[in-house]
Amino acid sequence: MGQGVLDIDDNNFESEILKADKPALLDFWAPWCGPCKAIAPVMDELQETYGDSIIFARCNVDNSPNAPAQYGIRAIPTIILFQNGNVVDQVVGAVPKSHIEGLVKKVL
Amino acid sequence: MPDKLYDVAIIGCGPAGLQAAIHAASKKSKVIVFGKARKSGLYKAHIANYCCYEKVVLGKEILEVGRKQAETFDAIFLEEDIVRTRKENDLFSLNTESGENFTSRTLILSMGVARNKLRVKGEKELVGRGVSYCVDCDANFYRGLEVAVVGNESAAATGAMTLLSFAKTVYLICRKLMVTDMLYKDLRSSRVKVIEDTWVKEIIGTNEVEGVFLKNGETVKVDGIFVELGAKGALELAANLGVIFDAESFSFIETNKKQETNIPGLYAAGDISGKPWQIAKAVGEGCVAGINASEYAKKLASS
Ligand SMILES: Cc1cc2nc3c(=O)[nH]c(=O)nc-3n(C[C@H](O)[C@H](O)[C@H](O)COP(=O)(O)OP(=O)(O)OC[C@H]3O[C@@H](n4cnc5c(N)ncnc54)[C@H](O)[C@@H]3O)c2cc1C
Repeated sequence: MGQGVLDIDDNNFESEILKADKPALLDFWAPWCGPCKAIAPVMDELQETYGDSIIFARCNVDNSPNAPAQYGIRAIPTIILFQNGNVVDQVVGAVPKSHIEGLVKKVL
Repeated sequence: MPDKLYDVAIIGCGPAGLQAAIHAASKKSKVIVFGKARKSGLYKAHIANYCCYEKVVLGKEILEVGRKQAETFDAIFLEEDIVRTRKENDLFSLNTESGENFTSRTLILSMGVARNKLRVKGEKELVGRGVSYCVDCDANFYRGLEVAVVGNESAAATGAMTLLSFAKTVYLICRKLMVTDMLYKDLRSSRVKVIEDTWVKEIIGTNEVEGVFLKNGETVKVDGIFVELGAKGALELAANLGVIFDAESFSFIETNKKQETNIPGLYAAGDISGKPWQIAKAVGEGCVAGINASEYAKKLASS
C-alpha cells in the first residue's frame, strides 16, 4: 500500500526522488491547472496498486520552481519516471490511465 | 444576495442544454443558458435518425425551435462563452467572455466535445517543449518570453490577455476573431499583437519551439505557442471544480443515472458525458439533468 502520494518540494526532491532506493513517478502540478486536477485521482489509484514497488509523488510547481526548471518543464501536468537519479521516461498532459500505468510497468 | 442569482445555469445550448433548460424552466426554476448555437455539433448537421422527425431536418432548425420553446418557459439565453467557473460555498460562479459574473445554485455542463489540436507539423513533437494547450496551466513558465496564441474564439482571446501578465510579447494568430464586442474591444486596446487572416502552417523547432510558420508566408519567432481553439472545454471549466473524468480519455465527465457528477449541484449531459454522440442521447440526458437540477435548487433555496 505504501504511504499515499508523497509531496515533494525543492528541499526534499533530491533525497526523496533522485536518491530514492526505488523508482519514482513524479507528477508536476499546480492548483490552477484543470488537467492536473483531473489526473490526480489516477495517481492515487495507481499508488494503491503499485505503491509497494514504486514511489508516487507530486510536486507543486508554484511553490517549488527549481525542480521543474531543472527538467525544462514548460507544461503541466508533466509526469516523470525516475530511476537511480535518471529520467527513464516522461509524459505531458492529461494522458490516459493506461498510458501512465505503462510507465510504471517499465520499471516493475 | 447577488443580483444575478439563478437556480439552474447551463453551459452549452446544443440539444442537451436546450432540453435541460426546457425541463428546468417548466418547473419554474430561474434558468440561464450560455453558449453560441452555431458552435453546436448539430448546427450544420442533417438529421434523419432522430425519433419522430421522419424527413431529414437541418440541425440548425432544431436548435432554433428548441431555444424558442425554452424561452416560452422564461429561460434566459446569453450568447457568450463561459471562461471561468468557481464554486463558492454552495453556489457556482461563472464568468462570461465579456467579463460579467453570474451565480447559480446548480450548474449543468453540456458544452459538447470539441477538437483542440491544430494537427500541424511540429505540434505533437514539441508538446511540453513550447507547445501548450492550457494558458491557465502554463503561462507561468513563459515569464519574460515571447509567445503566440492560436485560435479564433474566446479561449484564444482571453488566453492572450492572461499571457500579457507573464510574457514579454504576446501574438494572437487567428483567421477571424469571433468574440463578443466587449472582449474584442478589450483585446484591441491591449498590448496583444493580433495577426489576422492567417493560420499556423507549421511549428518550428528542434528541441524546443523556436517559432511558427504561418500560411501567409510569415515566420514569427516565439518561445511558446498556446493552442486555444474554440471555447474553453471541460478540462478547463470542470476539472477545477473537482469533477471526476473518465480515466482513459479525460474527455468525458462521469455521471450517474441522475446525470449528477461527484460534485453536489453539478450535472453533465450530452456529448460531454460520453458516447454515443447522438441527439437522442443528449436530449434524454438533458431532460434528466434539468429535472434533477431544478429539484436540487429548490431544496437548496429552502434550506
Ligand atoms: C456533421 C455532424 C453530423 C451529425 N449527425 C447526427 C445525426 O444524424 N444524428 C444524431 O443524433 N447526431 C448527429 N450528430 C451529433 C450531434 O450533433 C451531437 O451528438 C449533439 O449535438 C450533442 O449535443 P450537446 O448538446 O451535447 O452538444 P453540442 O450540440 O455540441 O452543443 C455544445 C454547446 O456548448 C457550447 N459551449 C461549448 N463550450 C462553451 C463554453 N465554454 N461556454 C459556453 N458555451 C459553450 C457551444 O457553443 C454549443 O452551443 C452529428 C454531428 C456532426 C458534427
